[in-house]
Amino acid sequence: MTRLIVSKLLQMLFTLWVILTVLFFLFRLGLPDPTVALVTDGLSPEDRAIVTERFGLDRPLPAQYVIYLGNALTGEFGRSFHYNAPVTSIVGERVANTLVLMLPAILISYTIGPLLGVLLAWKRGSKLEAGGITAGLVLRSAPMFWVGMLVIMLFGIQLGWFPTSGMRTFPYEAANFFEKIFTLDFLHHLILPTIVITLYYTGLPMLIMRNTMLEVMGEDFIEFAGARGLSRARVMYRHAARNALLPVVTQAAVTAGLAVGGQVVVEVVFSWPGLGLEMFNAVRTSDYPLAQAAFMLMAAIILVLNFAADVIYGRLDPRVSYTSEGAGV
Amino acid sequence: MQETLHLLWRAIKQDRLATFGVLVVTILVLVALFAPVLATHDPYAMTERVEGTALWVRGEQVQIQEGIAADTLFSVSADGPDSYVAAGAGGHVMRYADGEWSPVATPTTETLRAISAAAARSIAVGHNGTVLWYIDGVFEQVPAPTEADLFGVSLTEDGTALAVGESGTVLHLDGDEWRTLEVPVARDLHAVALLSSDYGYIVGARGTLLRFDGQQLAEVVSPTFRDLINIALFDRSAGYAVGERGTVLRYREGEWVEERGPLSRTLRSVAMSSAEEALVVGTHGDMMRRSGGTWQQVATGYSRHFRGVTSDGDTAVAVGTDPYINSLAHPSPEHYFGTTHNGRDIYSQVIHGSRTALVVGFVAALMVTVIGTNVGLFSGYVRGRTDNVLMRIVDIMYALPLEPFAMVLVLLGRPGIHIIILAVGLLTWRTTARIIRSQVLSLADRPFVKAARIAGASPLRIIYKHIAPNVLPLAFLQLAVAMAFAITAEATLSFLGLGPPRLYSWGTILHQARLSGAWRTAWWWVIPPGVLIMLTVVSVFFISRALEVIANPRLSRR
Repeated sequence: MTRLIVSKLLQMLFTLWVILTVLFFLFRLGLPDPTVALVTDGLSPEDRAIVTERFGLDRPLPAQYVIYLGNALTGEFGRSFHYNAPVTSIVGERVANTLVLMLPAILISYTIGPLLGVLLAWKRGSKLEAGGITAGLVLRSAPMFWVGMLVIMLFGIQLGWFPTSGMRTFPYEAANFFEKIFTLDFLHHLILPTIVITLYYTGLPMLIMRNTMLEVMGEDFIEFAGARGLSRARVMYRHAARNALLPVVTQAAVTAGLAVGGQVVVEVVFSWPGLGLEMFNAVRTSDYPLAQAAFMLMAAIILVLNFAADVIYGRLDPRVSYTSEGAGV
Repeated sequence: MQETLHLLWRAIKQDRLATFGVLVVTILVLVALFAPVLATHDPYAMTERVEGTALWVRGEQVQIQEGIAADTLFSVSADGPDSYVAAGAGGHVMRYADGEWSPVATPTTETLRAISAAAARSIAVGHNGTVLWYIDGVFEQVPAPTEADLFGVSLTEDGTALAVGESGTVLHLDGDEWRTLEVPVARDLHAVALLSSDYGYIVGARGTLLRFDGQQLAEVVSPTFRDLINIALFDRSAGYAVGERGTVLRYREGEWVEERGPLSRTLRSVAMSSAEEALVVGTHGDMMRRSGGTWQQVATGYSRHFRGVTSDGDTAVAVGTDPYINSLAHPSPEHYFGTTHNGRDIYSQVIHGSRTALVVGFVAALMVTVIGTNVGLFSGYVRGRTDNVLMRIVDIMYALPLEPFAMVLVLLGRPGIHIIILAVGLLTWRTTARIIRSQVLSLADRPFVKAARIAGASPLRIIYKHIAPNVLPLAFLQLAVAMAFAITAEATLSFLGLGPPRLYSWGTILHQARLSGAWRTAWWWVIPPGVLIMLTVVSVFFISRALEVIANPRLSRR
């Protein structure tokens, strides 16, 4: 187990290094003047010299690369043009904002989804199953940003039940992150975006669970369990479901990766001050250092989430699902 | 290959949802192909609307009455107590009596630019020398000695009338006969005010002021060089003329003097209710009133252009309006899905958007499938170090989030359709590669592959000749899945503004709705593109479910 964790950890660091490298060359090749990726135009010559020195911009490319890696390791990503502040200080809280929106929604999806999947398999051949499958596919087809717009229009504007943007009602005072989120006002803001993300991601585990359940239900031990006089619900949820959970878990890891990207649109629609919205604004204002750091952090989040999934289900065979429902792409 | 296709077709026919999916996709392809025919409007064109509007001013109260005529109204004149006539484009004449506007039949469809009423009679003049007389409840066209466009007319109680028009045209009616007057200038004349058969003024382009003495016209020194558009005389000692850029001229005891009012845009019409009181209307809902010796702006709460105004004691009525952009119109037979804030037809945009969705969806999905299948084939067959390296790359791909990746590409380049295709194509072949690889792994140990290897076939030949045909159904399935994903991705990236700025796609439409800020209430702008994205993607899902049964016979037990 320890060996597995260590090897996964090394793999994660290797991937992070590759992404850092690709980003380095993308930004160096894509921009005519590398200093614009790190310093503002309005910077005084002295400040410019300091930044040039710190990032080694006057040295040859390989040397720059080494300095860049060193800086990335210490969390030095330059200064944001837009905020005129170190990038690291800006993105720090944004990461927390993103996670506090994303993780609960994914968790809910991957709790409700499999439970519904078991139900569909159990009621195989019924109208409920057919309706459930269609509903699952339809929910997966509706783009999240669009559902977000509809939900805001209906519950936010028409009915006025929920706030339509941000994490808290301004003005508010909070000494730290936890003070900010442990309030009813925050929950009130959280509900709509959570519903939107949950609706989108519930379909996939539900359909995968149903498919695997159908396979497991053909196995002998299920029949034995039934013959032992156990109730149908007990057989379904205790015996069959436990054995059908594997592909769902595999998919959960992949979904975590997709969710970090998909999060961007939700944050944009709901003006949620997370990493995605920051990245979106950075692209609009050509804030290269901020965009670079935000991207790096999103990749890091995916890697950490995947790592966590790998560790928790360490011994599980990462089977690949064939099904289109299973193909998260 | 042919057999595979045949199997696919059978599977689709057996599945009701898949049949629905194929139907929807077929319709979409047809819609995309015939988009220019199916679209009712140019998706880029800002559609306009015209309608006649009246604005009532009673004391301090202002009240708008929209849609009283089917066309722009240019001029209005009081023809009795609480009774008005208004003339406009298309030969429309409206009469207000007993609290209601009703149309009056005219024998012309020419644009009527001015109308003047006195002593139960009216004269309307318009383009191409049109002159209409209104007597005993009927409009009659009378022959006029000109072909020129006529812009202004004024009728007196005793039956004298002057009509003015382009290039210094002035017609004089004395008794029953119209004759052309000698005019000292050749500029366009815009309006005329006649107090009696021997006293009147004419205004025109570049500050032109002409005095009429019953017989002939004389040019008066003008204090302005700007176009004068309208004139009103209260008596022989008081009058006003208005024109472009807020120009106001005041007439006092034989002299015209420029005055400054609070408005700076074009002023189009002026009416006087006493020697000291005047009301002026202009473009963009502008209105001002002079009373107590100063000009004061009157808030109308309206932003369309006024054309004419007249007053009758305490009541004044202004008419308009010019064609205006039909912004945020609700769905109607004219615009099936309503219009955007720029008056663009949403139905036509959605129709054209189907092209982008299908093309991007297909090209990106093809790219994904080609890259993914080839990587999967090599990785699965060659194994060893190659497999390791390729699968490491796949792992890295899984760590890159799609939307941010596309954003980086846009940051370094510029938004466009190629960015979307590249982002989807370069990133999402990862799943296809993994799935094809695991299939190839099991195929590689089959006897027919071993036999080929012993027979001395090269690895390339084995991969493409022997293994590839067997993973083809799976590749087809992945193509469908990738297409569904690519269409969603295109919509998402376009929604974020990363798409081509000049090309409509469903995502772009929603992007513009969001940018305009109108999406919070303009449901007709938000719902159609989203429903189409959903319908397209779910159809492809339905089809891919049917394909699965072929690609993966293990599932047919279900």
